[in-house]
Amino acid sequence: MKTSTFTNYFNKSKDFVSEKYEAFNTQSRKVKRQKKLKTFSSLSFTYFFLIGLCFVILFPTIQQLLQAFRAPQDLNDPSVIWIPKTWSTLNVTISIKVIDYWKALFNTFRLASMSMILQLFSTSLAGYAFARLKFKGSNILFMFVVFTIVVPPQALSLTRFLYFRQLNLLETRWSIYLMNGLGMGIRSGIFIFIFRQFFAGLPKELEESAQIDGAGVLRTFFQVMLPNARGALVTVALFSFVWAWNDSYFVGLFNLNASGEFPLLTMQLLNVAENTQSVYARLSYSGVLADIGQDIWKNPLFLSTISNVSALLIMSPLLLGYLFVQKGFVESIERTGIVG
Amino acid sequence: MENLKATTIKSPKEVKHIKVKHSTQKKIWGVIFLLPWIIGFITLFAFPFVQSVIYSFFDITPIQGGVDLSFVGFENYHYAFFEHTFSTESSFQVELLNTIGDALINLPVLLIFSLFIAVLLNKEFRGRAVIRAIFFIPVILNSTAVSTVMSGAGSVMGDIFLEENTMMIFDLSKYLTNIGIGEELVTLVVGLVDRVYTILTLSGVPILLFLAAIQSVPKHLYEAATIEGATAYEMFWLITLPNVSPHLITVSIYAIVDTFLTSSAATVISYEYNQLNWGLSLAMAWSYVVVIMMLLMVLFIFVKALKLGEHAYEN
Repeated sequence: MKTSTFTNYFNKSKDFVSEKYEAFNTQSRKVKRQKKLKTFSSLSFTYFFLIGLCFVILFPTIQQLLQAFRAPQDLNDPSVIWIPKTWSTLNVTISIKVIDYWKALFNTFRLASMSMILQLFSTSLAGYAFARLKFKGSNILFMFVVFTIVVPPQALSLTRFLYFRQLNLLETRWSIYLMNGLGMGIRSGIFIFIFRQFFAGLPKELEESAQIDGAGVLRTFFQVMLPNARGALVTVALFSFVWAWNDSYFVGLFNLNASGEFPLLTMQLLNVAENTQSVYARLSYSGVLADIGQDIWKNPLFLSTISNVSALLIMSPLLLGYLFVQKGFVESIERTGIVG
Repeated sequence: MENLKATTIKSPKEVKHIKVKHSTQKKIWGVIFLLPWIIGFITLFAFPFVQSVIYSFFDITPIQGGVDLSFVGFENYHYAFFEHTFSTESSFQVELLNTIGDALINLPVLLIFSLFIAVLLNKEFRGRAVIRAIFFIPVILNSTAVSTVMSGAGSVMGDIFLEENTMMIFDLSKYLTNIGIGEELVTLVVGLVDRVYTILTLSGVPILLFLAAIQSVPKHLYEAATIEGATAYEMFWLITLPNVSPHLITVSIYAIVDTFLTSSAATVISYEYNQLNWGLSLAMAWSYVVVIMMLLMVLFIFVKALKLGEHAYEN
């Protein structure tokens, strides 16, 4: 009697447990399924949205690329709209000759990387001082930084030109380096602003613990704060490099290529677009014109294609470089993990 | 953290001693850190700036080896605002007002759009590197040299593309009119689509700035939130947005300045500059600077009033 009630009770409880277990199992499976569905739908939304926008961005570039690989004799063929009938790299090789690509690339790279280093140095120091090393009047100075952002470079063109002529700084790279090193380069103001915002966002404990460990201000900055503001560093370095690379304003204002010894990509490109005579002179000098025949190079489309291909040639190193640099954006997450 | 502090700090007196010394040290280093910028500001910015403001009150004519000046007072400013005309139907005044309108409309759209894209690009998915690289293209194309060539304005290529209509993905306005939609609605829709493209080209830099800002948010905040069972939606509003909000100001300043730099008002200024009407172009440039400064002032007051964008660690 007693044992039977016990087994009865035991069975009942067993049923109860298994029932509950079953219910829990199905529920958890349901939750899991829901979660999966959710991530799937959000992911497909992301892809849908981003790929759509990518298409809008890429559309003109793809058109230009296909144009670049079209053989010069097909330029006027109305049946060719998108895909070239005859693929050829002739346009590219001609463009490389016209803009003196390799030499200009080397020069531009040198100028841009030097500018980037100097600009990083001056703006990160200033940004940190504005964020953490405050003294009387530093807020007023910061207003001046905002002012330098707002003033368009064109407004200072004339007087800057006259002033630099007085200082004998025209037609030399040092004028650009000086501007960047003293925090007055291309959009240096916005870089100072970026650095200030990032440094202000770092925890105070970081500095305090460095200070307690006996580090001076200089050491705190270089060994603690700067590595932790890596996101800002990568961003500013990227923009600084790209804008120095693309700059045609300062380079033109200071007339860096006065002697013809220092060709730069942007100046060469503008030259191709604006000065038709020099392009033909260069082409006939290198004997390309004789090779492709008169009916092709007399075609106005030919020159237009050459300048488009040159523009692509200028852009492509930046894009390739970005593919490597964008890993830096990812790494900065892991580093900030240390802060907490 | 608290324990660790207690063991490293020996006595309160000593700490105070270090702190006082350290704070003055900080001030000195602050001046030293700012020194390059201050020197640059005075020698490379302030001099040309003052000179340039003075020049805007003069009539300037280039002569051999320099410029010839004759004082005209506010004549240049008066001319810029009330008499100037540009390509028959437009004037500096009109273009400036248009630009202000553009900036005011573009700014909020740009902020929301680029933050949204940055959040999406921050997610982990396959092919992220490639898509990020594609979103970087507008930043590269934002160069005057490349865009003058690429846009093909005035070049033979541009004319041919316009003729064949291959430059546009499809002719939206024609398509809409053909299916029988009212003219006003067509212009509205086409205007909106055009604005998408403008926004997309302007948003290259803001997206990257936001991306860097999002990634500098301490990861442990998200970890804790996930353990507590927060949804992605809640995490965005309660963690991402407050941490990114200081950078909203940076992006706003950048966006306003960039809108102005690429605006038609700037085109008028450089046009007059190239026509050697230097005094006039300077007068225009300085009135334009005053307008941007006022816009930024409004922005700063707005931000201060809402207490937006203050860092938890500031002060």
